[in-house]
Amino acid sequence: MRIAWQLIVAIFLALNAGLIGGVDSRYAGDVCASALQQGGTLFYGLTLSPSGIDPHVNASSELGIPLRSVYDTLVYRVASSPEETAQQFVPGLAEAWEISQDGLTYTFHLRRDVKFHDGTPFNAAAVRANLERIVDPATRSQKAVFLLGPFHSVEVVDEYTVAIHLSAPYAPLLDGLSQVYLGMASPQALARWGADYQFHQVGTGPFRLEEYVPNDHLTIVRNDEYAWGPPIHAHQGPAHLERVVFRFFTDPAGRAIALQAGDVQVMGEIPPLDAVRLQQDGGFTIVPVPIPGQSLGLILNTQRPPLDDVRVRRALLFATNREEIVQTIFGGFSPAATGPLTAATFGHIDLPAEVVRFDPDEAARLLEEAGYVDSDGDGVRDRDGQPLLLDAVLMTWGSLPEVAQLIQSQWRSIGVQLRTRTLTYPAALEAARTGDYHLIPQNYAGGDPDLLYTYYHSSSTFNWTRAADAVLDDLLVRARQVSDAAARMELYAQAQKRIMELVLLIPIRDPVNLNGVSTRVQGLRFDAHGWFPILHDVRLQ
Amino acid sequence: MLVLVARRLVWAVFALWGITTLVFILLRVLPGDPARTILAASGASETAIAQARAQMGLDEALPIQYGRYLWNLAHGDLGRSLFSNRPVLVTIAEQLPPTFELAAAALVVTIVLGLGLGVLAARYAGSWLDRVTVGIAVLGVSTPLFWSGLLLIWLFSLVLRWLPASGADSWRHLVMPAILLGAVGAAPLVRVVRSNLLTILQTDYITVARGKGLPETLILLRHALRNALLPGLNLIGLQAGFLLGGAVITETVFARPGLGRVVVDAILWKDLPVVQGTVLLIAGIYIIVNLGVDLISIVLDPRQRET
Repeated sequence: MRIAWQLIVAIFLALNAGLIGGVDSRYAGDVCASALQQGGTLFYGLTLSPSGIDPHVNASSELGIPLRSVYDTLVYRVASSPEETAQQFVPGLAEAWEISQDGLTYTFHLRRDVKFHDGTPFNAAAVRANLERIVDPATRSQKAVFLLGPFHSVEVVDEYTVAIHLSAPYAPLLDGLSQVYLGMASPQALARWGADYQFHQVGTGPFRLEEYVPNDHLTIVRNDEYAWGPPIHAHQGPAHLERVVFRFFTDPAGRAIALQAGDVQVMGEIPPLDAVRLQQDGGFTIVPVPIPGQSLGLILNTQRPPLDDVRVRRALLFATNREEIVQTIFGGFSPAATGPLTAATFGHIDLPAEVVRFDPDEAARLLEEAGYVDSDGDGVRDRDGQPLLLDAVLMTWGSLPEVAQLIQSQWRSIGVQLRTRTLTYPAALEAARTGDYHLIPQNYAGGDPDLLYTYYHSSSTFNWTRAADAVLDDLLVRARQVSDAAARMELYAQAQKRIMELVLLIPIRDPVNLNGVSTRVQGLRFDAHGWFPILHDVRLQ
Repeated sequence: MLVLVARRLVWAVFALWGITTLVFILLRVLPGDPARTILAASGASETAIAQARAQMGLDEALPIQYGRYLWNLAHGDLGRSLFSNRPVLVTIAEQLPPTFELAAAALVVTIVLGLGLGVLAARYAGSWLDRVTVGIAVLGVSTPLFWSGLLLIWLFSLVLRWLPASGADSWRHLVMPAILLGAVGAAPLVRVVRSNLLTILQTDYITVARGKGLPETLILLRHALRNALLPGLNLIGLQAGFLLGGAVITETVFARPGLGRVVVDAILWKDLPVVQGTVLLIAGIYIIVNLGVDLISIVLDPRQRET
């Protein structure tokens, strides 16, 4: 027994000794300095370990969080603001650009002072090499190629002028070109590394990729020659930080703890209840970043009875207390949504409050008008002997099971029974394809309102509403062909009104990325696409 | 002995073939189309999805896919991930070491704790020490890893600040996950070793040893333990499966790299070649470990050599 105790004491001492030289040593020396410093290493927690990180090939947002700082894009999007008609895009690697009258040709005039991290000069030929790689079927691009829309060809006009030709007008092109997935990579590195390029990425951005070890970490280091930052950066010249190390935290329950333990100083997607706690604890701030794109809502299958009746759909909308949901489940961090687009999306409009109001009495009245009464007294309305029973497909993300539980109880009070099935993502997509649902959640991010075309146009495979409305189709087609921003906005305003008139979805909330940030981190902002930090301006205290 | 080993090896190959076939069928019965899964967030057209499916070879009839899979497998080719397009073999080679490190460290903890506490509990059977030990063992079996893992992190990383909460950079990162996984794995071993020892301590040859006046501890360690080890050894073989499965959860809780997270992601996203490759590997390890356990028990127990 005595030996056992001695052993325990020895282990105890060994661990303590390890601590002194161990866990906190990487911060030693800068802990006391309260002034903003130049240099230093930031540890940043990602929430998903991407299967691949080549931005031309892969599609995850997580790859963009580090790589947004490795690549520059031809243009940059500025955040959506109330005066939306103002300039949406600012120069990046392109100093200026023109769009032809027919909307088919985009001509970019490139900066002449830009070098890739490997010394290769940036020019029109580099742009061509990048775009041609992306559209090559052998690349198997999962996202970038779709951002190019009806791409036809790319033409080197002169050394610093490049033209992109389209086969049909496509207004969202600039938005695509402002995303990291269309970041400009060194043609030399692309040619040299081929399929292994993701481990040897070379861009022109304020940081260069030092190392990527799948599932473990990804490190970027400062590019000391950086002198071509876009106007969205707060300062010009090289970045403040010396190095940023990204690690992967797939378990939501461990994220706040990793932050508190000092393993990272920035962590994305903190669960709302942990965010409340972190705020109270001190030492951390919560930076909620609204994500542009679709609001998180339940899409209604308008082909499947009884949801083919707009009165039933509207009744469900009025029976849903969104305010209760966002307060109970999201701690008030995530605002209640009012339509198909989040407030952070270009072209979003605030629909009149009565369109999406919470009004259970009116909901009950609409159901009665549609012929649904509780004839057998079991608490569930019925018509022709059929109970008003709806089937919702759910997925595990976004607290959807909890949201559905609340909705279940809200709808029960007006006599609607909701049955739920939680599926994996591939299985949910299969259910969506076959139409085997009354309600299904949909939430895809994007900076351009053209995503309404993808999710509501009758010809789109991702139109899970299964509605075919000629008015809406026409608005969405015209909106992607007009390049004038004000005219597009007007069309999208009408489209949003139309979607809610037809009640194609029940909007729930605007997704917000809750970032937990140590108070030692100064100047952290996120770009107009929401997910991506502007690390160039970040300093450590 | 050699015949025995050869027979077991042939059986192992058949078992592996059966498992791969089962996994192949199961994965294809489950709903979901990898091409659609990959392209959904990009709003691709149905045509583009069909093209991607063809590129992945998923548009072919199942027998053809199965035949190609077996043919490639026989040539040591596990295929490429549908999502990252990297060879499955490379991913496995990359992610196996940290998982192996965790499983091996946990196995040591399992054996030390399982035998040590089992012997202690048997030596002081009926005392408070016995009751506490068995109580902890029951608690260990019935507590989910992700919960006890978070408790450990809270205590050792946040309150005491002794150990790092996440990552796999040094031996200090290994301490908590290995102890957690090893301790939970030790729980059934404690109970088996204890009850076996208690049974053996009732037998005649132990009574003879006691009659000769040997000290109780010596009787326990030299005479009783060897016989009590055999069922424990078989259990350790079975625990290898638990350790690999538990590593999946442990890796997630402690944000460690490793095969576990690869497998979970691959199953959730239906990355067929990755699931097939990793299941084959895990089944292979399981079979080899149990083959090894069988051989060791033959060495330890002369009675088994005749069968």
